[in-house]
Amino acid sequence: MPQLAALLRVARRLTPEPASAEDLVQETMLLAWRGFRGFQSGTNARAWLFRIMFNVFHGQGRRELRSPEFPSPDVRPMFQEAVEIAEALQALSLEQRTVLLLCVVEGFTCREAAGILDLPIGTVMSRLSRARRELRESLAPMAKEAYR
Amino acid sequence: MTDDDLDQRLRASILSEDVDTTRLAAAVRNQIYSRRYRGLRWVLAAAASISLAIAVSFAYRVFFVPPPVCVAAVQDHEREIVKGNPRPWLVDLSAIQSLGAKQGVPASVIAVLGTTGYRLERGRLCFLKKQIYLHLVYSKDGAEYSVYLRPLTGETPFQRSIREVSIGAEDSAYFQTNQLTAVFVASHSAGAAATFARAGAKVLQGLPS
Repeated sequence: MPQLAALLRVARRLTPEPASAEDLVQETMLLAWRGFRGFQSGTNARAWLFRIMFNVFHGQGRRELRSPEFPSPDVRPMFQEAVEIAEALQALSLEQRTVLLLCVVEGFTCREAAGILDLPIGTVMSRLSRARRELRESLAPMAKEAYR
Repeated sequence: MTDDDLDQRLRASILSEDVDTTRLAAAVRNQIYSRRYRGLRWVLAAAASISLAIAVSFAYRVFFVPPPVCVAAVQDHEREIVKGNPRPWLVDLSAIQSLGAKQGVPASVIAVLGTTGYRLERGRLCFLKKQIYLHLVYSKDGAEYSVYLRPLTGETPFQRSIREVSIGAEDSAYFQTNQLTAVFVASHSAGAAATFARAGAKVLQGLPS
């Protein structure tokens, strides 16, 4: 099933529990299946799916309440960076996290992300810029250690 | 750390995680199948309801609604025989047979109906449901019977068995042979028309087509 992994990856960072993320993606796929006639062939199917998912997510009243669970502190060193990045990402506001996930991780352009989130492109760009700055600040101690 | 470094680390960190979608894909498929078949169930239920309604309507028309020609025949019998409206009738057998032949009712039909124990009294043409019928009046034991005959012209007979229909105080019976439509009406006792119709059907179906 195409794009399921990408949708789930983003959904996990929007919702508090894995089950909620799976519910969100499941609802997205069902809506996409039901509304497939409304999809215009030749347009970006991936962006269309993400747009549906964000519509569902916002329709559900943004159930993001707490961060996902992370591995315990005694994680292996090679895993440590991933945990810190995940924590730093989760510390961002939902809006900033969303544009980072779409533009940086999923590779959408700012214009595509603006379409998905139904926002002006300028808003997406400024959120992306702020998100990068805050993420960089959160990860600064780790970066110092890495470069030491 | 540049934007590119940051983006690369973020991407690498998130894309390296294992995303198992097996269970989710199965759940989505199940939902899609169940919804698809739920839609199909509604379609089947609707089709069944429509079929049932059509069947009930058909059965009602076949078994409960009297054929329009019977209704018209009973009304004509009531008007012309029971109330005795003054009309010109032919009473001569050969004249009646000649009149019938002009309308496509063979003389042999009239002749064999006379062998059933009923006596031909008179005849004339009439309209039932905008179609011309030969109206024959027979008598037996002091009671009068109407027989309405019309040749089948290119039609397929659909009422081969005798159908008895009671309309008000009148009793009628109706059947078709390969040659004609015959409606029998009596008003003096229940089943009288059917008795005559059975006798008539017996002799008419013995005629060559």
